[in-house]
Amino acid sequence: MINWLGVLIFLLSGAAFGVIGIGISYLIQPRTKNRYKLEVYESGIPVKASAWVRFRNQYFTYALIFVIFDVEILYLYPWAVSFVELGLSGLIKMFIFIFILVLGLWYAWKEGAFEWR
Amino acid sequence: MHIDYSLLSTEIALAILGLIVFTLGLTLPSRSTNRGLGAFAIFGLLIVLGITVSFWGTQAELLAGMYLIDNFSVFFKILALVAAILIVFGTMSYANNNLSRQLEYYSTIIFATLGMIIMISAGDFITLYIGLELMTVSFIILVAFRKTDGHSLEAGIKYLILAGVSSAVLLYGLSLIYGATGTVYILELAELVTAGTISPLLVFGLVLLVAGFGFKISAAPFHMWAPDVYEGAPTPITAYLAVGSKAASFAILVRVFVGGLAGMQEQWATLLAVLAAISILLGNLVAIPQTNIKRMLAYSSIAQAGYIMVGLLTASPEGIKGVMFYAFIYLFATIGAFVVVCAVYEKTKSDEIASYAGLSQRSPLAAAVMLISLLSMAGIPPLAGFVGKFYLFTTITDNFMWLVYIGLIMSMVSVYYYLRVALVMYRDEPTDPTPIKMGAAVNVTLIIAMVATLVLGIYPTPLSELSNIAAQSFFTW
Amino acid sequence: MATSLNPTYFIFLSAALFAIGVYGVIAKKNIIAVLVSIEMMLAAVNINLVAFNKFFTPEAFIGQIFAIFVVTVAAVEIGLGLALAIALVRKRGTTNLDDFDWLKW
Repeated sequence: MINWLGVLIFLLSGAAFGVIGIGISYLIQPRTKNRYKLEVYESGIPVKASAWVRFRNQYFTYALIFVIFDVEILYLYPWAVSFVELGLSGLIKMFIFIFILVLGLWYAWKEGAFEWR
Repeated sequence: MHIDYSLLSTEIALAILGLIVFTLGLTLPSRSTNRGLGAFAIFGLLIVLGITVSFWGTQAELLAGMYLIDNFSVFFKILALVAAILIVFGTMSYANNNLSRQLEYYSTIIFATLGMIIMISAGDFITLYIGLELMTVSFIILVAFRKTDGHSLEAGIKYLILAGVSSAVLLYGLSLIYGATGTVYILELAELVTAGTISPLLVFGLVLLVAGFGFKISAAPFHMWAPDVYEGAPTPITAYLAVGSKAASFAILVRVFVGGLAGMQEQWATLLAVLAAISILLGNLVAIPQTNIKRMLAYSSIAQAGYIMVGLLTASPEGIKGVMFYAFIYLFATIGAFVVVCAVYEKTKSDEIASYAGLSQRSPLAAAVMLISLLSMAGIPPLAGFVGKFYLFTTITDNFMWLVYIGLIMSMVSVYYYLRVALVMYRDEPTDPTPIKMGAAVNVTLIIAMVATLVLGIYPTPLSELSNIAAQSFFTW
Repeated sequence: MATSLNPTYFIFLSAALFAIGVYGVIAKKNIIAVLVSIEMMLAAVNINLVAFNKFFTPEAFIGQIFAIFVVTVAAVEIGLGLALAIALVRKRGTTNLDDFDWLKW
């Protein structure tokens, strides 16, 4: 069980770090109460409305396109790490891969996914 | 590492075809000029079919067994391509009139076919999974294709969720088998898994695998997505889902279970026999009260999945031959039936069985093809379905006699609901006696389906021999 | 490396995660929640794959490669699920699965 001692110490010190930090600041902070303290951005810009508004569908379209193109990194990264071993044939294959993705981008563009309506 | 790309020419050609259709669709100026895409897609698919046929007799593996090419996989690839060609050809006017986006439609069909073909040839779990998901994701898009129609969208969501869950279950099973054996290659698996080395982990993985594949072939009790999705999807897609997706899933089911896990046959044979029995019972019995023809065909396809599963139980070349023979026959019967459904829908805008009243007067050819297809599915003697069922059930008379009885009785039950449609078509008077005009393409497809079903029933020897050769090649690894 | 970690822990962890995912798919009524549950099931698979790779085939990276593909396909599935959810909200104004009863279950 000796191996688990490290994990336990790690957990405890992690928890202590948070607790001690919050605790000390709670103890030594100056306490004043007025209505400016209760604002969302203290001494900042005034709040106009609630943050719980409906976002437009357009945001989600952007998010979708981001998710889909974001995942290509998963394949680019292992390729980049072994770039030298894979050589020219790896480069060509990666260009084919990117080319297919670019076709998808072209499609999204043509469908008007990047226009803010 | 040297890779012989010429062995992959089917897949590469199909991928290039899909990308060309996609690019063409993007560059053509307006949506209305995209009509030619369907013809182009068929032309390309015919070329790919030619390439695939030329691989008959090749036995090779790529990348240390990640990709297997043998007569078995070539047989199923031909099946998938023939299904794609016939469906695209037979429903082109339906697609032109009802589906506005040709570019997405045809390229996604081609990518679904590519997924099937990759899955059929898969020699390891990773390739299997990629092919399976390429096919499934394409089908989700196609099922939800009429995105302004709530039914289509709802079917798409249901298919997405259930397909997602089923692939997660399947993957978990695959990961457990990988953990138990340390390999993902199916051929290596066959050597490692023998009767003496079975661990609980392996058995648990096997059960999850059965559940995951059960979803894909829509075997009961994992069938609940099928009726809804079949009803809500555009009819050509329903047909392709019933034929292509099912055949490809059966191909990989055979590859994994008979090819890879033959050492555990004792464990999975009983499990599959029970699934087959439930599918046959439930599919046929629930089909009886259906009033929508697509739902009825969905339940009938659940029963057909049960029949095909019978061929796996003995893990013998005869059984595999039965699976391949039946899958090929089922292709023509299903495509015949669904192309008629498409043609009738175009005229009447309804999929209810009641709207088929008097079809024999409005379009004798459509009624005849529908009748022959349904009777072939029921397994009435001179038609192909009978021969297929005969091949399947003769393999299990030694060990699973009870299943033979269930199959026989339920085949008789199925005649009842198939003939009910025939009765409506031939006996009832049409409410609207105007003849249904179908285009030349539809007529040609229907005649091909009808002739194939008739000829293969009377003279099954050539196809039987071909599937025999293919089944033999499966066992020579 | 002398740790007392063994594959059993990972199998239990992934089995628990998988079971939570299955429960979520069955019990949740919102499409987004169901999609998240499916992601959890796939995460359980990935834990299995990477752990088995480490313990059983440390010299070959089969499991890790498999995991990369699983992550990709999971992203594709989520993208598609969200796209369908957006289309459904536009069409029906709801993401509650109980409202989708046009087709019989």
